[in-house]
Amino acid sequence: MTHEVIKHLLDDYVTGDLTEEARPPVEEHVVACALCNAEVESLKQILARAAELPKSIDPPADAWTNIRSAIGRDESAMRADSSLSRLGVWQRRYVLAAAGILVAVLSSAGTAVYMNAHYSLARSGGTLGNNSSSEATPATLAAFTLEENNYLRTASMLQDLLDQQEASLAPETIAQLKASLRTIDEAILEARNALVRDPANKLLVEMLSASYRQKVDLLRRTTELTRGT
Amino acid sequence: MKTSAVVSDTIGNYPSTSAEDKAAALERVRRAQTGDVDAFEVLYREHSPRIYALCLRLKAGDTSDATELLQDVFIKAWRRLDTFRGDCAFVSWLHRLAVNTMLENARSDQRRTARVLPMEDTSRLAGAARPSGVESMMDMESAIASLPKGARLAFVLHDVEGYQHQEIAEQLSVTVGTVKAQLHRARRLLRERLES
Repeated sequence: MTHEVIKHLLDDYVTGDLTEEARPPVEEHVVACALCNAEVESLKQILARAAELPKSIDPPADAWTNIRSAIGRDESAMRADSSLSRLGVWQRRYVLAAAGILVAVLSSAGTAVYMNAHYSLARSGGTLGNNSSSEATPATLAAFTLEENNYLRTASMLQDLLDQQEASLAPETIAQLKASLRTIDEAILEARNALVRDPANKLLVEMLSASYRQKVDLLRRTTELTRGT
Repeated sequence: MKTSAVVSDTIGNYPSTSAEDKAAALERVRRAQTGDVDAFEVLYREHSPRIYALCLRLKAGDTSDATELLQDVFIKAWRRLDTFRGDCAFVSWLHRLAVNTMLENARSDQRRTARVLPMEDTSRLAGAARPSGVESMMDMESAIASLPKGARLAFVLHDVEGYQHQEIAEQLSVTVGTVKAQLHRARRLLRERLES
């Protein structure tokens, strides 16, 4: 065997992976060739240093806490899944259907509020962003408050369903969902606080309504995703 | 002489446990398989340091990524405990799960690139044991962490953990020739980096 061939066999020579037939000529060459000899010594040093590396390193103390929490969530999901199974597919579909209807109703209510706002503004010649001095619409706002209660109930039911099914979602999906819900909740909170300061502002009602629709719709779609419905 | 022989029920050059130890370990696994979280915690305490060392090297010394991987591995282990049949040592099963989880995560997260180990992470890697050659060990860890991913995987699995070429090829879904080429590349790069 030539030097060119042998130098490609040195890794296997050092790790003992050469066949019985191939080993003697390589060994003979390594003794005679300074370059290959140096290469072999260098490889042996690398392997020796790799063997000296610590095989055990203590993980951070809170790692187990996180694992234990995930196991707890799994157990809750299993229990919930069992309860859901007992509920039956029709009851689960009822929740999803109710959510769908609510989205439609909220959409209509929001549109009505928004149209009223435009109508009212057109009559008074005011501007849309600052209409607190314009005619208040207590009946519409009261109706919206009723819808808001419906939303809260449905969102809560959907959230419960989703919590129970969380284990079936990919971690990236859960992270994305939580980030989206955070953004929507912030928008709801912002609009809600603004409405407290300016209860007759119909644009704020529309914004709040749109955020509610968005949240229920997101929860509904994700719940459908977990159930494969 | 082989530097990293693999025996039937364990990985690398670790001493094989006694029959009594094996029976006790299997009993802990069996208890965990029945849903006993306390038994699973004992398994975690027992094996997590070795799996964490592997995770740290697979993740180029990034402690945050390594901790995340470790958690993923043990959560998956809990969920898949019923698939462990005792054909190999539990730690070997965990090793495979760690490598598979890392590969799965890598497929869904292409953003990460090979990074040079930050100093604080280097000290973490060398921190488990502090013999006289700590600096040398840190150099070695840093050099391993700086390897391209494929070369690092092959080197960590073969030269540090003691997997066979064939086992690595199967886990990484590549040929034995590719594994050998990556190993050759890893050793050459390590020599260059350690000698410079």
